[in-house]
Amino acid sequence: MSLLAVRGLSKSFGGLRALDRVDLVLAEREILGVIGPNGAGKTTLFSLIAGSLEPTAGEVHLGERPLHRMPAHRIVRAGVVRTHQIVRPFPNLTVLENATVAALHAGGRASGPAPVRAAEVLEFVGLADRADRMPGTLTLAGRKRLELARALAVAPRVLLLDEVIAGLGPTEAQALALLIRRIRDERGASIIMIEHVMPAVMSLSDRVIVLDHGKQIAEGTPAEVVRDAQVLAAYLGPGGAP
Amino acid sequence: MIGRVPRRGVAAYAGVVALVAAVPVVFPVSPYTHNLLTFAFLMIAGSLAWNWMGGFVGQVSFGHATMFGIGGFVAARLILSGALPAPLAWIAAGLVAGVVALGAHPMLRLRGPYFSIATIGVGEASRVIFTYWEGFTGGSSGLSLPIDPILKYQLYWWGLGLAGLVGGASWLLRRSTLGLQLLAIKADVEAAADVGVSATFYQDLIFCLSGAVVGLTGGLYASYFAYIEPSDLFGFDRSIGFVLMAVIGGLGTVFGPILGAVVFVLLRQNLLASYPELYLGLYGGLLIVIILFEPLGLTGLGLRLARRVRRAREGRRS
Repeated sequence: MSLLAVRGLSKSFGGLRALDRVDLVLAEREILGVIGPNGAGKTTLFSLIAGSLEPTAGEVHLGERPLHRMPAHRIVRAGVVRTHQIVRPFPNLTVLENATVAALHAGGRASGPAPVRAAEVLEFVGLADRADRMPGTLTLAGRKRLELARALAVAPRVLLLDEVIAGLGPTEAQALALLIRRIRDERGASIIMIEHVMPAVMSLSDRVIVLDHGKQIAEGTPAEVVRDAQVLAAYLGPGGAP
Repeated sequence: MIGRVPRRGVAAYAGVVALVAAVPVVFPVSPYTHNLLTFAFLMIAGSLAWNWMGGFVGQVSFGHATMFGIGGFVAARLILSGALPAPLAWIAAGLVAGVVALGAHPMLRLRGPYFSIATIGVGEASRVIFTYWEGFTGGSSGLSLPIDPILKYQLYWWGLGLAGLVGGASWLLRRSTLGLQLLAIKADVEAAADVGVSATFYQDLIFCLSGAVVGLTGGLYASYFAYIEPSDLFGFDRSIGFVLMAVIGGLGTVFGPILGAVVFVLLRQNLLASYPELYLGLYGGLLIVIILFEPLGLTGLGLRLARRVRRAREGRRS
């Protein structure tokens, strides 16, 4: 039984089909990579699952529970949370307060006072010593960790990570990749991750799907996907495959 | 709650309120000053409550006169009919205003300037409607309440009590997890939704509470002035007044609106007497200067001065 199931998910903006009948399933404790060229519809996929956008067609189920047409904040309470590619901390709240706001919405999945759970999450992502700082004083890597902490504070069952690693230096990138694996192993969350940094996707993902022009063009293990001719064509242009 | 309520802070706050309460008993203040202070307390309560929405949630309402007016006329009608003693009539006025404020729900989908413009429209529409609704408001001739010198004298403490409670509530709200969520909505409504905060719910809740307190204030104002008319209570001046007091004192700060209300009442009283045609222009200028140079108003100015003094002291020591 899959944890999250997406069926025929589509989104059109006027005449543009940003996402075209995408199907995917996510198993319990699985890490699913989503790759594809810019404009392939990856972030749109996340926005639809997380309820930031309403789908034109299609369904999203968490277990038996339909999520499509639920407002974003209720989807979070159900246990599905996203992070943003361009981090969006609340600049007027401290790091701890940022995580606390999220910790208030863990639904029935966690017990104890929200600030305590928020502090625990900061410890987990390695921001405990910066709990009382304002987000603006953090480095980009720090803000990416905060974005992760905020998502983890709702004790998610499904975590949607939008380019958490991209834009970081090699050391930080490796540290965050390790953190993502620990989220699955130690906190039991299932993860869908959009990532441009190929070594990270390839080493972390159990499975990978490839989007291009809103369509799903390939699916398989990382090793299978990189050999797929259609994928190479999407990235390098037709005839680009060796 | 984030952290515990510091006992010392509560004691200091209660002490200040008690001192102010003792003023008319200890010092023989003139009836003019006594009444001016009463009016200031009402404005403090109103601007603090306005700041919950305008400062904490960041939704600047130019229509709070609607709740002020509804509170005033509901209280006046209840007192005139003899149905309720004044204090209960004020509370009823607050409850009615709070319920009416829930009607802002569709407007609260709008954000920023769009929301503000919508509140101007609704505020002005309500002024016109209540001016024409003579059966309730007495139309342009308004309503007169029986003159009650004792109640008017006591209003000082009713007003102070209300202002004290609303100030305490503001402080608790700012420190509570509810307050954190309001600040999150203010910063980024979509990011707030993405961590589970329902902007719709909290905005409705705060607009309702804010409207209820402003309605309560309107009720006390009806008893204070003893003569009320729709063009005054529902007037755009009133709505602007709430915005100005909070902005002068420090938008979104906890106690700024108190300072702002005091300055506003003093300025208004002096300018209205000598230059009635100038005072709105002066407020406009003041607003622009504050927004340009010190967005946190007097509170920001105070903090800046405190920093400078501290730095000067440290400089002298080394």
